[in-house]
Amino acid sequence: MTHFAVTAVGADRPGIVAAVTGAFAEHGCNLEDSSMTILRGQFAMMLVVDAPAGVGAAELEHTLAGPAAALDLVVTVRPAAEPTEGGTDDTGSWTVSVYGADHPGIVHGVAALLAAEGVNIVDLSTRVVGPPESPVYTMLLEVTLPPGADPHEFSRRLDTTATELGVTCRLHPSEADIL
Amino acid sequence: MAVRPVLALPDPFLQQPAAKVGRVDAAALALAADLLDTMRARPACVGLAAPQIGVGLRAFAIDVTGHRKARSCAGELVLFDPELLSAAAPVLGREGCLSIPDLTGDVARATQVTVRGVGVDGGERIVEADAFEARALLHELDHLDGFLFLDRVASAHSVYRRKVYR
Repeated sequence: MTHFAVTAVGADRPGIVAAVTGAFAEHGCNLEDSSMTILRGQFAMMLVVDAPAGVGAAELEHTLAGPAAALDLVVTVRPAAEPTEGGTDDTGSWTVSVYGADHPGIVHGVAALLAAEGVNIVDLSTRVVGPPESPVYTMLLEVTLPPGADPHEFSRRLDTTATELGVTCRLHPSEADIL
Repeated sequence: MAVRPVLALPDPFLQQPAAKVGRVDAAALALAADLLDTMRARPACVGLAAPQIGVGLRAFAIDVTGHRKARSCAGELVLFDPELLSAAAPVLGREGCLSIPDLTGDVARATQVTVRGVGVDGGERIVEADAFEARALLHELDHLDGFLFLDRVASAHSVYRRKVYR
């Protein structure tokens, strides 16, 4: 079995999931992790599929071409390497909350700090809320800290970046163990 | 006594820790009345903290009377200089906030708390609360330290858009 990472994006309408997954079913592919959502009217699918021996990216792309054309989707297929070990360390999972008046550069400013600190983003969601004349940007990130990182020190650096960006950034442990 | 405007995200005042009230004087009682009036003006509002109406003092009002998720219920309650004495049994639950009218979020909060503060009569008041009332107390205590529910949500996908504040 080979894993493929697949994306499909297009204007939202009923039938996109059915059409795309139909192509995988045709090849006997097993759907593994997926995330699909609507972003301002664009339906975005990201998924990892497990394909039987003999089914390659070319076959999948060929079969997906039909639904892609019919539903005006942009589809990509690429082989996905097996995930490497690591990522689980004793620092656990943390959530960073970011919010402030919307302006360009908030995501980059925060992400650049995380990258410089070796902090890995494992999940991220953003929303623009508030009145149209004064929109508020909210971003939540799930992150893992590098081994040996000091959360308090990281929190202080987040504060500095937040001040520079004119937003609020707060770090707290994710609630993984709450049933 | 007045219904006061409620500050909303991203007003930086909401992130400021509030100062102690100290003596319960006429000004403190006027603040209590404004908190209650402003809270009552929004039927679904079960709590309001002074920083939300632009007052940087440690005071809040709560009232979970009739709420379907409430068990303990101290009724209408205004506390000055409240402190958390004990907190246990965290449970995830959905929260909203007048200062974040477009979003709700899942937050783990203790469901058994003891809070000590000063009441409107100037006397010490100890409140033991559980379930939804405990959540409301913790949410309001957070406001006094400059924290919002967005700072506490369980994960990156624990925030939801809401259409109306009910």
